[in-house]
Amino acid sequence: MTSLVSARGVSKHFGAVRAVDDVSFDIEEGKILGLIGPNGAGKTTLLKALLGLTDCQGDLSVLGLDPFRQRKELLKNICFIADVAVLPRWIRVTQLLDFVESVHPNFSRKRAEGFLGQTNVRSDAKVRELSKGMVTQLHLSIIMAIDAKLLVLDEPTLGLDILFRKEFYSNLLNDYFDEERTILITTHQVEEIENLLTDIMFINEGKILLDSPMESLADTYVELMTSGDDATAARGLGPIAEHEMFGKSVFLFEGVSRENLQGLGELRTPPVADLFVAKVKGARK
Amino acid sequence: MMINQLALLKREVWEHRSIYVTPLAVASIVTLGTLAMLMFAGGFAKELDVAIFGATNIAGDAERRVALTGFFVGTSWVFLLAAMVLTIFYTLDCLYAERKDKSILFWRSLPITDAEAVVSKLATAIVVIPLVTVVAIIATHIVNLVVTSIWVIAKGADAGHLIWGSVPLLDNWLAALIVTLASAIWMSPFVGWFLFVSAFTKRSPLLMAFMPLVLIPLLELIFLRSTVFAEAVFTRRGMIPLFRGMDMEGFFDEESLHVNEEIVSLLAHLDVVQFLTSPSMWAGLVVCALFVTAAIYVRRYRDES
Repeated sequence: MTSLVSARGVSKHFGAVRAVDDVSFDIEEGKILGLIGPNGAGKTTLLKALLGLTDCQGDLSVLGLDPFRQRKELLKNICFIADVAVLPRWIRVTQLLDFVESVHPNFSRKRAEGFLGQTNVRSDAKVRELSKGMVTQLHLSIIMAIDAKLLVLDEPTLGLDILFRKEFYSNLLNDYFDEERTILITTHQVEEIENLLTDIMFINEGKILLDSPMESLADTYVELMTSGDDATAARGLGPIAEHEMFGKSVFLFEGVSRENLQGLGELRTPPVADLFVAKVKGARK
Repeated sequence: MMINQLALLKREVWEHRSIYVTPLAVASIVTLGTLAMLMFAGGFAKELDVAIFGATNIAGDAERRVALTGFFVGTSWVFLLAAMVLTIFYTLDCLYAERKDKSILFWRSLPITDAEAVVSKLATAIVVIPLVTVVAIIATHIVNLVVTSIWVIAKGADAGHLIWGSVPLLDNWLAALIVTLASAIWMSPFVGWFLFVSAFTKRSPLLMAFMPLVLIPLLELIFLRSTVFAEAVFTRRGMIPLFRGMDMEGFFDEESLHVNEEIVSLLAHLDVVQFLTSPSMWAGLVVCALFVTAAIYVRRYRDES
């Protein structure tokens, strides 16, 4: 496994606010990493640092390059969609393809036109004439036609309806992703993407709360649903979170083996959203 | 680098259609004006048509040259004026609009440096707009000479001699190219300032660009009792060290209708060496470079979210 991104002690301060506070992590090739955090957690700042759009302290290397100082070189091998609204509204679809073709060495116009052919986006249309969903399809068609090593998606489906969102992720998985590519996604709608992630990272108040492969979440975290005396016993085992559901108590354990909990009630691997809430609340205590 | 620049320049023309719409509009107005003049003049008796270049009662070839060159210079100034207004609006908009509609995030997701992007906007202002202007001047010139020739032929005169034989075409066109490019270079500190304002201001670039140009001279006058800034800024346009001897306006003088043929040459009035060796010109370029560097810096370091 090669490490595409390597961060050691990376920080970014805006005055007294620590948007990113001394974080260290690696992203390996062939992964789909979900970066999850509440608003203002530092997600976007961290992505901007990775993309060389903002300066930061610490050691940060992306594809072996310093993102801020070697941004042009880096962007030949990285793509990103920052938000659905960023395509210029005045441009025509053909002009957009012409332009990207002439400035991007790894762009295949044929591929982009192939993807666009599957949509309702007309090639002579201006971006301002397209619906929000179509603009996203256009942007994704361009991005997927770039042979990049790392794709960064920052809330890529914000404001889209469920049909477009589902289609977006299925296109991404079926037409784009392979073992040589790496995808980094941030989103609020974690339920929609948790099945396609290979790795997950939680960030809150500039710090990383969790950084784990999806498959080992089941080894570390377990959710127990129980009631009565069993609930009291469970509480004694030190759950990291507890909440009530349908009159029962739901406990979330970290690092407690399933054997110890067997017999106390129903066990399951917690959904990412529950784990996230528990981790963020735990960090605030 | 070169391919990027060409693509970026093309992009500017796509986005700012006024770059070619403005000269087209001026060309249409000038041509319509010529047509109206010819039709109006056509109502007079032939011997009264002194205003018309092809009229046989213009004294001689030299005077006809002066009349045609005068027409050429007059219309060229209209194009230059339009280009100046266009450049002000273009430079104030180009780095502001991309931030306002957030498309800057898309442009910055492509392998293009901020320096390349800002330089393409500078090149649009001081190379592309002047070149488009010169092409429009030449095209308008040709169209108007053709229209006038048809009129002269309709009057039964020899257009080949009266019109085409009398116009110093190459001289006029080369002069137009030099004057337009030199003006753009001479005014480049303003271009740099406008680009910088466009890159940093959060609202109303026009107001932000012109407010200091009004306030600073006012404050200088009140507190220092001097007018150094105002003179440097507001008189710069008229001080371009390109012309020698007779002022351009001399062409419209009654007297110049009777001067010898050499004076009809526009090139003879231009002093390119004097322009290129002028410290003021170079100082202006340095000011422009400083502002453009500042604009690049702002685009690169400012967080847009």
